[in-house]
Amino acid sequence: MSFGRGVALVGGATTKFGVRAATWAELAQEAGGALFRAVPALTRADVDSLFVGAAEPERFAFQSHVAPFAAEQMGLAPRRVIQRTELACASGQSAIRSAYAAIASGLSDVAVAVGVEKMNIPSMAEANTSMGCVMDRAWDGAHGATAPPFFAMVAQRHQLEYGTSDDALAAVSEKNHRFANSNPNAQFFDKTFDRAKLGRLPVVAPPLRLGDCSSMTDGAAAVVLVADELATKYTKTPVRVAGTGQYADFHNLANAGSLTDWVGLRHAAGEAFRSAGIGPKDLDFAEMHDCFTISEIVEYEAIGLCPPGAGGQYVLDGRSSLGGDVVVNTRGGLLGCGHPLGATGIAQAVEVFDQFEGRVPAARQVPDPHWALVHNLSGSANVHSVMIYEGAS
Amino acid sequence: MAGSSEAPRRRAAVLAPPEPAPPKSEPEPVKKPAAPLPFLLDFFPLEDEKNTRLAAFFRNLKEGRLTTTKCRSDGTLAWPPRVVCPQCHQADLDWVDLPMVGRIYAFSAVLMGAPLGMESEVPFVVGLVDIPDVPFRLFGRIVGTPWEQCHVGQKVRAEPYELPDGRVFYRFRTVG
Repeated sequence: MSFGRGVALVGGATTKFGVRAATWAELAQEAGGALFRAVPALTRADVDSLFVGAAEPERFAFQSHVAPFAAEQMGLAPRRVIQRTELACASGQSAIRSAYAAIASGLSDVAVAVGVEKMNIPSMAEANTSMGCVMDRAWDGAHGATAPPFFAMVAQRHQLEYGTSDDALAAVSEKNHRFANSNPNAQFFDKTFDRAKLGRLPVVAPPLRLGDCSSMTDGAAAVVLVADELATKYTKTPVRVAGTGQYADFHNLANAGSLTDWVGLRHAAGEAFRSAGIGPKDLDFAEMHDCFTISEIVEYEAIGLCPPGAGGQYVLDGRSSLGGDVVVNTRGGLLGCGHPLGATGIAQAVEVFDQFEGRVPAARQVPDPHWALVHNLSGSANVHSVMIYEGAS
Repeated sequence: MAGSSEAPRRRAAVLAPPEPAPPKSEPEPVKKPAAPLPFLLDFFPLEDEKNTRLAAFFRNLKEGRLTTTKCRSDGTLAWPPRVVCPQCHQADLDWVDLPMVGRIYAFSAVLMGAPLGMESEVPFVVGLVDIPDVPFRLFGRIVGTPWEQCHVGQKVRAEPYELPDGRVFYRFRTVG
């Protein structure tokens, strides 16, 4: 990495994701407990900085100033950097990226990035309003825009321009739900979905059915990042932060340009690959932002796994499954795990660490991985955040 | 960007005519609940001079005109309307009329998961509309045709509608 000193991911853990009988604060406590159990060498005093990925605690939990709130829940007293990162659906990766920057610059040596989101609240209509204000609420939200109709339009255009089938959409959901069946922390761990069953679920926003959409989910996750020279104190399998890229190119839907060519993702992934010194063909596995089935298909194309328009065939041919080219979303994805906005990006990094450590169940273990990519989009795919990790072996 | 070339530019032509009661199969026009939503749950912007420097947009809309700002310095046409040009950062902007007629570029419908206050409007159609001669599309609610019968390329016309508290907003109505 060309920027600052080296940074390593040395461990992490997630809570159970789902419709949880637990508050925001309780989820933060659970994530803290899980992190310290997963990284036994880590002490509270080691942690000099805390980055809290939280998209909408004001809306869903009526709580602001959540960085010190989370620190107290987790038993931490940060002395270098404490801050919240908010980037809607990418708030978690934003916390990791900020922790990385703080360590690379020398401001921090040992930083925890935690993501927490509580989304299931007594009034789901209020929750839907909160999701609508991720958009330009006065000019888009007021028309009734939330994520499902926006991504439905992406799917409609992809189907129109490239002939992508409903079956290809369902294939993404089927693959990620199958991976989720090996992840006990996934919201849909114990639910099985095949393409036929997915095709019978109710339509949310045509052409997208319930199984094409990630869920409103409660959950939290935490990782610890350290300066390279400290890494072996915490793990035998440190994972190097090898590259990163980010791009934001519009906000209001009027200014989206092409719905099927995610220019921002091409920029963000290009920058991440350049900074890591690798290309898409080098990847062994990837955690991608499958907030909707169509998202994963467009992402294959923009990240460079396949040509524009070929994303549907890519998943149908099994090229993103175990044994394929680049295994995508072994954790179960947002579709299988649920999507607690702030926690998702952190949970993806936990999967990256666990894959490199070789301790995930065989049903989803990638054989001898070396390079991994993590992608999050946020909002109406108007911001893209990408990180590339290198395993030790 | 594709779009219709027959957009009317005269004010009189764009006022929505009085409408007959819609047939049963047609989506209901957008209605807001009688009880106002708390401010932080209400998507619709406050539109008077006390609250925004874009009050002219809503005054123009009440007259049946869909307008936005154009920079006097570099000609940038922006959406949504601005108080500062996003290109040259000058604050000297004019209000100009947008074409009112365009064609659907993409659409979907909300069949579940509507925000608070919009639940009774389900199912409703939203879409991105290509309008001619501007560097953006317009997003909005589309009324007049059930979602099952809407199609990409369908002609729509922008129209104002009034909220129960007197505020005004815009939507699209399918033409023909």
